[in-house]
Amino acid sequence: MDPIIRVHDVSKSFRDNLSARKVKALESISLSAEKGEVYGFLGPNGAGKSTTIKLLLNLIRPDSGSVTIAGRSVEERELRRIVGFLPENPYFYEHLTAEELLWFGGQASGMKGSEIKERSMMLLEKTDLLDARKRAIRTYSKGMVQRAGLALALVHDPEVIILDEPMSGLDPFGRRMVSNLIIDMKKAGKTVFFSSHILGDIEKICDKVGIIAEGRLCLEDSLTNLLNYGATLEDIFFAEVEKISVKGN
Amino acid sequence: MKALFSLAAITFKEGIRSRTVYGILIFAIFLMFLNVMISGMMMQDVAKVAVDMALSSLNFVGLLLVFFAGVNLFSKDIERKTIYMVLARPISRSRYILGKFAGISAIIVFSLAILAIFESASIVIMKNGYPAQFLRFSWSALFFSFLLTLISLIVVLSTGFLFASFSSTSFITLVLSIVTYLIGSSANEVKALLEVPHDIGERTSPLLLYCVKAACYIFPNLSLFDIKTEAAHGLFVPLSYILSSIFYGILYSFVMLSLSCIIFKRREFP
Ligand SMILES: Nc1ncnc2c1ncn2[C@@H]1O[C@H](COP(=O)(O)OP(=O)(O)O)[C@@H](O)[C@H]1O
Ligand SMILES: [Mg+2]
Repeated sequence: MDPIIRVHDVSKSFRDNLSARKVKALESISLSAEKGEVYGFLGPNGAGKSTTIKLLLNLIRPDSGSVTIAGRSVEERELRRIVGFLPENPYFYEHLTAEELLWFGGQASGMKGSEIKERSMMLLEKTDLLDARKRAIRTYSKGMVQRAGLALALVHDPEVIILDEPMSGLDPFGRRMVSNLIIDMKKAGKTVFFSSHILGDIEKICDKVGIIAEGRLCLEDSLTNLLNYGATLEDIFFAEVEKISVKGN
Repeated sequence: MKALFSLAAITFKEGIRSRTVYGILIFAIFLMFLNVMISGMMMQDVAKVAVDMALSSLNFVGLLLVFFAGVNLFSKDIERKTIYMVLARPISRSRYILGKFAGISAIIVFSLAILAIFESASIVIMKNGYPAQFLRFSWSALFFSFLLTLISLIVVLSTGFLFASFSSTSFITLVLSIVTYLIGSSANEVKALLEVPHDIGERTSPLLLYCVKAACYIFPNLSLFDIKTEAAHGLFVPLSYILSSIFYGILYSFVMLSLSCIIFKRREFP
């Protein structure tokens, strides 16, 4: 079966506004996630994780290569009906309430009113925002905004869920909540692709791991295979990233 | 359609609850009292001054709304990346633009309607105080002037959308839209001024005249929407003039929005 998320030989550079030089963010990167898999996308800061994720959402476009989800080009608008997205450090319209935010998400994804109401209440409860649901997002803490973003990403019950650093800014309870949500999604047969630089999170919940450094994918394998070598994920991570840095310099 | 409508709805809610809109509306109420006071101090032409002040303050407050609440609601959406939560939905870039434009226009229509009610109230007060001064006053002229002011604000907003669709910071968008407003409201007068010397035998540089003429076509001709003087003097403005101005405004905004959509389709949001 074809992988549900497929990034094939993608390169992407950004024009640096100040020096007008081109910054290579990704260099012929290829990766894939199968349906029902939890994919952990690991890499140090500035490795190119967010860039890859923005390509998956068609927020930016590759210089070369192709990006598909469920066999369809990510440029297809209707495709985003089955995709849920949590941006890195999410920021929402600050005068809206969490309830209104989810209402928008559901409406824009073509859900019925009653369906939205039901899913929203369920998700707000799971993300522990039930009491705060009628308060403006402006009054939320960073962790609460992050959780609201997570609820928004899931409101339309997407098949493919893409999360950019979902654990960042959360306390241990929040992190456990996100882990549990991801495990729930996996049980429901959804595909989850999330980036992180917190190794512990990945080790607990992932089926497959991709390690990226300096815009290149160093390694992609199932977690069981990786840990079979006897090393811990941490050892593998440091070894791979250092290999790339040596080559690069 | 549903997506477009829901985006317009949250844009409206977000805007109407923001401090900027509150601040501007409170300022408007202050202007209304100022209007009553100043026109009250006049010995003559009370009606003219009252109507002119009402219309000018409506225009001024409307512009503040367009620049600081309206254009900002769009360009900040890009700057702060709140746009991600919209573009991650099955919503096309064009619908994003249209939804955002509809929501912001609704804020402006709503605020201006409130202002117009206040301004009209101030005129009613003056009219009761100085009935002799208001013999030539016409409510319909006042209403049409309100309406054309509203259309001109929508046109200015649409130029702001064009700039926001390609510029990377809300500051640049703000500056460009203010400059466009200034040129748009004066280009026609400048053209008229430059054309006069021809008749009395003086020479204007043809290049300059050409540039000004080009500016008249490219920039919105905002003087078309300015019937404040007519309204203040209670003069009759033909309906055909009003309708054609409205048509021009809609056409101009349509072109601006279409261009924004084309540019926005290609844009990346890193
Ligand atoms: N808008 C941009 N303009 C210029 N360079 C960028 C931009 N976005 C990202 N980059 C560069 O691309 C690289 C990858 O960034 P990113 O994908 O955000 O990393 P990560 O999410 O893994 O921390 C970095 O070197 C970063 O400086
Ligand atoms: Mg990142």
